Amino acid sequence: MLPGLLTAIGFLVLWKAVSLVFLPTFLPSPVELLSNIAKIFSKPSAYLVVGKTLERVFIGLILSMLIGSSIGLVMGLRRSVGSFFDSWIMVLLTFPAISWAFLSVLWFGLSDVAPIFTVVLIVFPYVTMNVWEGTKALDKELTDMATVFRAKRFLLLRKVMIPQLMPYIFSSLRISFALSWKIALVSEAFGAGSGVGKELTYWFQSTRADMMLAWGASFMVLMVLIDIFLLRPWEKRVFSWRPLAIA
Amino acid sequence: MSSHAVVIEGLRKKFPSPSGLGEFTVIDSLSLHVALGSFASIVGPSGCGKSTLLNIIAGIEPHEAGQVHIAAQDGANTAARIGYVFQSPRLLNWLTVEDNIKFALEAQGIGRAVWNERVKKYLDMVGLAGQDRNFPLNLSGGMQQRVAIARALAIEPDILLMDEPFSHLDEITARKMRVDLMRILERARPTILFVTHSLREAVFLSEEVYMMSVRPARIFKHLRVDIPRPREPEDPRLFDLEKALVKEFFAVLEQDYR
Repeated sequence: MLPGLLTAIGFLVLWKAVSLVFLPTFLPSPVELLSNIAKIFSKPSAYLVVGKTLERVFIGLILSMLIGSSIGLVMGLRRSVGSFFDSWIMVLLTFPAISWAFLSVLWFGLSDVAPIFTVVLIVFPYVTMNVWEGTKALDKELTDMATVFRAKRFLLLRKVMIPQLMPYIFSSLRISFALSWKIALVSEAFGAGSGVGKELTYWFQSTRADMMLAWGASFMVLMVLIDIFLLRPWEKRVFSWRPLAIA
Repeated sequence: MSSHAVVIEGLRKKFPSPSGLGEFTVIDSLSLHVALGSFASIVGPSGCGKSTLLNIIAGIEPHEAGQVHIAAQDGANTAARIGYVFQSPRLLNWLTVEDNIKFALEAQGIGRAVWNERVKKYLDMVGLAGQDRNFPLNLSGGMQQRVAIARALAIEPDILLMDEPFSHLDEITARKMRVDLMRILERARPTILFVTHSLREAVFLSEEVYMMSVRPARIFKHLRVDIPRPREPEDPRLFDLEKALVKEFFAVLEQDYR
């Protein structure tokens, strides 16, 4: 606790010291950053901007999780599907993310579709790889048990297989969440008429680093809060059956 | 069919050999008739193919030749219900004890209306009343195996297959579980096919004992244990029987391994 606090204080002092050398619009001091954030969110329109971006992040994330998990699951359950998609997923993973961001603007124009499309294309292959890896660790003994008791395919999936994949699905979810919001912002910066990404472009063109930092920092804080108050408690609830190995 | 719960004729099973070249016969021309309602044990050394035999009966392992027939008690038209207690509990750790049993009931297509009653009845029977909301990983190994037994009994099977169900437990727990199993079976009475490597366990529990040799597995002796139940684990008649069977076993095994 104490070393952490000291590090934080040290960092703030250093930041303040460096900021004295530069113009406040180039590198603001901690207090200036906070007052900029306060200024941004004193206008109601700021909430609409954040809301728009959040909407895109979540639609992109949910689609990526659904598409990614489904493909990963089918790849794991059918060997032929697995070897078929294997190289295609690698193609998607290696294709430059920035190209998707530009291409989707050309294809879909200034709309909600472009950022969502970009997020999905970049994020879902990670989910697929992760869930596919999970299917390789499925316990054959449990599948045999379910078969002896004559579980039908859907019951087997729901109560035997998917619960075993939950650790992989959750680790994908948290990584995908972090990835999704970064990609959504980049995509908005290129070609959306609204959202946090567009604000960043606007302040970039006005050479106002202080406002870019204020937007970036406030969005980051929001994302961390969502992780702490939504994703982590959810994960804890889903795995309540599992005694902790590490205290 | 006759009054047999399980009829196996001329069963043959091959596995690919570990070297990858060709295959070897694990089970050859094995025949077995288990009478309806009896407690039959198959005893054989480790690795002789006992578990494979149970898996073939349970339908999770294919076989090359021979017939396996399991009779359903209520008319031959319905497929027989098979309960299986494995060496390890094989519970779904993310479901409560109650939901683990309900999983088997759902898998068997048993009507939802009787689920709660079945769960309560069989958890009581295995001595786990009040544990229904607990998760398996909070239970001891012995308790987990009791849940597995309750799960197998709850579907009210035509045949209950048990594959060395107490071999993973310490001897004191295992001994208690055997005595408890006897008590449970006074109330629920399916046909049981019990696989073990322990002659002592087999003679204590069973009415019929089948002795199995190795490479390939076949049944070389069948005997009835006529000692009335309830039996005491320390009954000298059981010891005498065990001693005689051990002698016979080694005579056959020495031939097999030569």
